[in-house]
Amino acid sequence: MKKRAFAMLMAVVMAFSLMACGNEADNGGSGGTDDAAETIKLGGVGPLTGGYANYGLSVQHGAELAAKEINAAGGVNGKQLEVSFQDSQGDPESAVASYGKLMDWGMNVCLGGVLSGETASVVTAAKADDMFIMETTGSADKCIDGNGKAFRICFYDSYQGTAAADYLKDNALADEVGVLYQSDNDYSAGLYSAFVAECEKAGVTVKEAQTFTAATATDFSTQVNALVNSGVKVVFIPIYAEEASTFLTQAKGKFAEDVYFFGGDGLDGILGKVSQDVSIADNVLMMTPFAADSADPKVQAFVKAYEESYGATPDQFAADAYDAVYTVKAAVETAGGSTSGADLAAVMTSLTLEGVTGTMTWNADGNTNKAASAILYKNGVGTLFGQESAGAAA
Amino acid sequence: MTNLIQTLISGLSLGSIYALIALGYTMVYGIAKMLNFAHGDVIMVGAYSGIVAVAQLGLSPWVTVIVSIAVCAVLGVVIEFCAYKPLRQAAPLSVLITAIGVSYLLQNAALLLFGSQQMAYPKLLKLPIFTVGGVQIDGITLLTLAVTAALMAALTLFIDRTKLGKAMRAVSEDKDAATLMGINVDRTITLTFAIGSALAAFASMFYGMTYVYIKPTTGAMPGIKAFTAAVFGGIGSIPGAMLGGILLGLIEQMSKTYISTLWADAIVFAVLVVMLVVKPTGLLGKPMQEKV
Repeated sequence: MKKRAFAMLMAVVMAFSLMACGNEADNGGSGGTDDAAETIKLGGVGPLTGGYANYGLSVQHGAELAAKEINAAGGVNGKQLEVSFQDSQGDPESAVASYGKLMDWGMNVCLGGVLSGETASVVTAAKADDMFIMETTGSADKCIDGNGKAFRICFYDSYQGTAAADYLKDNALADEVGVLYQSDNDYSAGLYSAFVAECEKAGVTVKEAQTFTAATATDFSTQVNALVNSGVKVVFIPIYAEEASTFLTQAKGKFAEDVYFFGGDGLDGILGKVSQDVSIADNVLMMTPFAADSADPKVQAFVKAYEESYGATPDQFAADAYDAVYTVKAAVETAGGSTSGADLAAVMTSLTLEGVTGTMTWNADGNTNKAASAILYKNGVGTLFGQESAGAAA
Repeated sequence: MTNLIQTLISGLSLGSIYALIALGYTMVYGIAKMLNFAHGDVIMVGAYSGIVAVAQLGLSPWVTVIVSIAVCAVLGVVIEFCAYKPLRQAAPLSVLITAIGVSYLLQNAALLLFGSQQMAYPKLLKLPIFTVGGVQIDGITLLTLAVTAALMAALTLFIDRTKLGKAMRAVSEDKDAATLMGINVDRTITLTFAIGSALAAFASMFYGMTYVYIKPTTGAMPGIKAFTAAVFGGIGSIPGAMLGGILLGLIEQMSKTYISTLWADAIVFAVLVVMLVVKPTGLLGKPMQEKV
C-alpha cells in the first residue's frame, strides 16, 4: 500500500513537472532549462525481453558503450551522460508506459524506440513535450512523422528498398530478380514496394514475386519452387533474419550456386540464426551502412571495445545506437549545452557526423543521408561486397 | 507438368505432417470427447526434448526417439491428471478453456526455459533427396507418409481389436454405462492421453526434421491447421484425420502455387467452412445420432 501511495505521489509530481515543462516551452522555448542538472539523462525504449530482445539489447549495449566512452573523455560540456532503457517487449502500448517511466526518471533526451511500431507510439507520446528524440533503429517510413523534434540514425524503409534496387543496377548484379517478402509486415512490405518502384525506373525486371505471412512462415516449399523455376540470379529478400533462416534452410541445394539472396538490415544476425550450419547463409548479400569488418579505424575501435564489453560482435542495431549517442553529444554541444527539444531539433540539419555507420547529415523531415554498402556471406564469414568488387575491378 | 508434380509433392509433405498431428487430436476427441488444444504445444515440448537429448545430453538418435516419446506421454498424462481430470463432470466449455490455458502455460514455460530464440532440431536421420525426372522428392517426405500410414493402421487395429481398445470405445459411447460394465473410465482416459501425446512425439520428430527451427510458439499454428484437418476428415475418425491432413496440405500448396501465396490460408479455411456447411460431420465422420 505504501508503495502504491508513493507511486501516486510520483505520478502527481510528474504531471506537475510535465505541465511546468510545457509552459516553459510555450513561453518562447528559451532553452537551457537544465543548467542546474549535473548529468544528461538519455532514455530509450525497446524490447529487452521476449521475441525481439536481441534487437533491444544490441541497441542498449551500443548506447551504453558510447556513453561510457564519452563520460571517460570528459562528458558533454562537462556533464556526464546517464543511459536508461525501459523494456517494452516490442509492444507499442507498453512503449508509451515506458516513455512515461523515463519521464518520471527525469529523461533529458530520448533515444526513441527500437522497433518501428513502438517508435511511432513513443514519437506520438512525446509530441507535446519539449523532448528531442534521437531515434536509433525505427525504420518504418512514417514512424517519426508528426513530431518535428524526432530525427533518426537508421535508413527509412523505402529508402532501403530504393537503395537496394540502385545497388543491383550499379553493381550490374542482375537485370531480372525474384522477390520473397512478408506481406503482413510493414518493414518487409515497405521495402518491397519501394524496391519495385525503383526497379521500374532502373530497368530491372521483377520476374517473380512470392509472399508469406507470419502464420505461414514455416513452409516455403512452393515459394522456393517458384523462385527456382523463374531462373533468376538474384532473389531480393527484404525480411527478418528468423524467417530468412527458415527460407534459406529449405532453399539449400535447390538454387543454382551463383544465385544471390539480397536483403536489407532485417537480415542482421542471420549467422546466429543458422548456427548449426553456417553454409546455409552462403551467398546472402546484406545491404547495410555498418560492416563490422570494415577497414575504417573508427569502426575497428568500436568493434574492439564492444567485443571487450559484451563478448559479441556488434550488429547494425548496436552501431546505430552508438552513433545516436554521439549525435546527441554533437547536437547538445552545437546548441550550447541546451537539452531543450526545440533547440536540439533546430541544430540537427546543420550537423555533419562521421559515425561508425557512415557520414551522416539530416534533412528537416528527420531522415538521414548516408551511403549503403553490402556484406557477402560465405562459409559463415561476412566480407564487404563493395570492397571486394572494387578490388576485382581495379 | 513438373511444376504440378513438385507442388503435389510439397503438398504431400506438408499434409503428412498435418495428418500426423491430426491423429493425436482425433484420438483424444474420439475417446474423451474433448478438444485438447494443448496438443500442438505438446509437440513443441517433444521437439525441445529432442534438442536437449541430442545437443546437451549427446544421446544417439534412437535413444532420442524413445526419450521424446516418453517425455510427451508423461506430459500428456500429467496434463490430464492436473488440468482435465478435476473437470470430468464440468461443462465441455470449461474443459475447452482449460485446454487453451494449458497451451499458454506450456508456451510460456518453454519461453522461460529456452528463451525466444529459435533452436535447430538435430538431424536424427540422414535421408537423401531423390530426383525423378526433374522432380525433387525429399526422403523425409516419404518417411513421414509411411510412418503416418503405419501409425494410423496400428491405432485402428488397437482400437478395433484389443481389449483396451474396446474399453476406449465403450468410454466414448457412454461413460456411465462403461463404469457400470466394470471399465475403469479414469484409467482408460489417462491411457488415451498417453497414446495421443506419444503421437505428438512422432509429430515433433518429423516436424523438426522437415522444418528444422523450433520456437516456443512452434506448436500453435500447425496445431490449429491439424485441428482443421481433423474436422475436415471427420473428427473422431482416425482414417479421416489422415485423409483430412493430406487433403489440407494439398489444397494449401496448390492454392499457394496456382492462386496466390497471400490467399492460401483464406482458401484453406474457406474449404473448411464449405465442408461444415455441406457435410457437418466431415469427410469420414459418423453421422451424429440424437440420443433420447
